[in-house]
Amino acid sequence: MTDYEVHELMTCRVAAEVDEQGVTVMGSFTPLAYASYMLAKLTHAPKAYLVGFDAVGMQPIQLSFTGAEAAAYKGAVCRWGMLTEVNSIHLANHGGVEAVSSAQFDGDGAINLSAIGPYEQPKVRLPGGAGAAEVIKMYRKMIAYFGNHNSRTLVDKVGFVTGTRWKVGAAAREAAGLQPGPVVVVTNLAVLVKDEDDAPFRLESVHPGVDPQTVVENTGFALEVPTDVPTTAEPTAEQLELLRTKIDPYGTVKFDFVSGKDRLAYLKSILDAEWDRAAARVGA
Amino acid sequence: MSGAAPGRSAGNKVVPLESLGELVRDGESVAFGGGWFANHPMAAVRELIRAGRRDIEAITVVGSVDMELLVAAGVLGKLSFSMVTLEAFGLAPNVRKGIESGALPFTEYTGLGLLIGLEAQGRGVPFLPYRGPFGSDIPGHYPEIYSTTTCPFTGEELTAVRALQPDVAIVHALRADAEGNAQWDNTSGPDVEMAKAARRVIVTCEEVVDRQVIVANAHMTKLPGYYVDAVIEAPFGAHPTSHVPRYALDAWELMDYAGVAGDADGVAAYVDRIRGETEAGYRDRVLKGRDEVLAALVEAAETIEVQQ
Repeated sequence: MTDYEVHELMTCRVAAEVDEQGVTVMGSFTPLAYASYMLAKLTHAPKAYLVGFDAVGMQPIQLSFTGAEAAAYKGAVCRWGMLTEVNSIHLANHGGVEAVSSAQFDGDGAINLSAIGPYEQPKVRLPGGAGAAEVIKMYRKMIAYFGNHNSRTLVDKVGFVTGTRWKVGAAAREAAGLQPGPVVVVTNLAVLVKDEDDAPFRLESVHPGVDPQTVVENTGFALEVPTDVPTTAEPTAEQLELLRTKIDPYGTVKFDFVSGKDRLAYLKSILDAEWDRAAARVGA
Repeated sequence: MSGAAPGRSAGNKVVPLESLGELVRDGESVAFGGGWFANHPMAAVRELIRAGRRDIEAITVVGSVDMELLVAAGVLGKLSFSMVTLEAFGLAPNVRKGIESGALPFTEYTGLGLLIGLEAQGRGVPFLPYRGPFGSDIPGHYPEIYSTTTCPFTGEELTAVRALQPDVAIVHALRADAEGNAQWDNTSGPDVEMAKAARRVIVTCEEVVDRQVIVANAHMTKLPGYYVDAVIEAPFGAHPTSHVPRYALDAWELMDYAGVAGDADGVAAYVDRIRGETEAGYRDRVLKGRDEVLAALVEAAETIEVQQ
C-alpha cells in the first residue's frame, strides 16, 4: 500500500458516494468536496453531472485557488445564474449528492453555519449557510465531512439550526416529496451513516488504526456501534496518482488540514506556484 | 425606472464612476451583485467608500471582500446576507466584529429565500411560495420575511418569502452599451434577479461598447437596457474578485487584506489608502505589471479529460 494522508482517504471515501444519478452543485471553493467529485468523475462515475459556480455540465477540473472558476467554465455546456440553478436543480429535485462541512453538526443531521452563542450578538459569528438552509434536505444523499472529529463539532444538538436534513428515513422523505437517501458523515477518524429518523447514526467504518471507542468518545451524539466495525477502504494507487498529479497537484485539499501558523505559509506556497505557472505564459 | 442620474439623457446612460456618490444616497438599501469570490462590483464599493456614503443597507447573497470593505469603512448601517466569507483567507473579520459587538444590525437570509424574494419583486407579486428551509431556525427570527402558506389545490404547506425591493442594485458586467444593455460571459450569480427587483439599477462594466457589439452577441445579454438607469465603465471593476474571462481572483491582494483585516489600525490604513486615491490611481498602484498575469491565470486554468 502506498503511503497516504488522511485527507486523501477522506477524499476517496466521499468520492465513493458520488454516482451518476442527479446533479452535484459546487459553490464556494471547498477543495475536499471538489476533489472528491473530480475523482469520482475520473474513476467510477464518468457521467456524474457537475455544476460549479454558474458552469453547468462541467468537465473535471484541476484544482487551484485562482483557477477553479475559470476551469469550470472551460468544459461546461451551459451557463446559468444562481436562481436558475436553484429552480432547475434543487427545487426541481434533481440534486444528487452534496458534500458540506459546518462549524457544528448534530445527530439529527442539522448544521450550524450561523452563530456560536446568542444569535443576535454571538460569541462567534459564522459565515452563514447560503443555500444550505434549504438544499441539504433536497439532495438524494447528504455528505458531511470534518477534518477534525471532536465533540465540539459533532454535537448532541447544534446551538442554531442553519439547515437540516429534516426527514431522514426513506418513507418520511418520499412522503415529503424528497428523494430517499442517507446522511453520510466522513471524518478524519471514521464514517457514520444515518438512514432512519428514529435511529442514531451508525458507525459504518473506522479508518485504519482508529479504535471505535475513540470515535464514540469524540462524538457528541449517540452512535450505534456494531460488534464488528469494518475498516474504511484505503486509497488505491490509481486514486492517489489522479489526486496528486491531475486533480490537485498544488495541494489545495491539504490546506484545510494545515493548522495554526503554518497555514499562511502553506497557502502562500500554493499561490506562488499558481502565479509562476501563469507568469511563465506571459513572460512576466 | 425613475432614477434621476444627473447629467445623462434618456439615450445615453453613461456616467463616470465619480458620479456614483450622487446616484446612491445615504440610508438606501443596495443589492450588490456577484457571488463567492467572483464578480463583485468592487470599483463601485470603492467609490461608495470614497464618497463617504453612510447607513447603507447592503444586500448580498454570497458576499466576500466587498462586504468586508464596506463594513470596515463605516458605509453600512445594516447587512442583509445569506453568507459572507473570505473562504481560504478566513472568516470575514470586520463583518464578524460588527455583528458580535452588536454595532452592525443584520438580517440573515436563507440563500434560496433571498433569491426567491428578489424574484417575487421582479415578477410583481408580494410573495412567492416554495419548499423552503423546513426545520431551520432562521425563518423564526424574521417573521416579517418568512411565513407559511397552504397550496389551494393540494393543501401542501409551503414557505412564503416576502418580495424584496432594494432601492438600488449595483452589478458588474463584462460590457454594456449606452442604453444599458448588459452582457455577461461567465458568472452572473444573482445579478439579474437583483436588477429586476431594484428601484434603480447601476451597471458597472469592464467596457462600454457600441450597440452593434451588443447586437452581434445578443445571446449574452442578460439584462436589457430598459431595466438600467446608469452605466459606468470600470475596467478591473471586480478586482480583487474575479471577472472571468478577463482576470482571475487576485489572491495576493486578498492575502494583503486578510493580513491587516483583523487589526483596527491596519484595516483603517487599508481603507484610507482607497479613500485617498482615484480608481485609476488604485489600478496603477495595485495592478502595475500584474494585470497580464491575472489574465494569464484564467488561460492557465485546466480541465481534465474524462476517458469514457
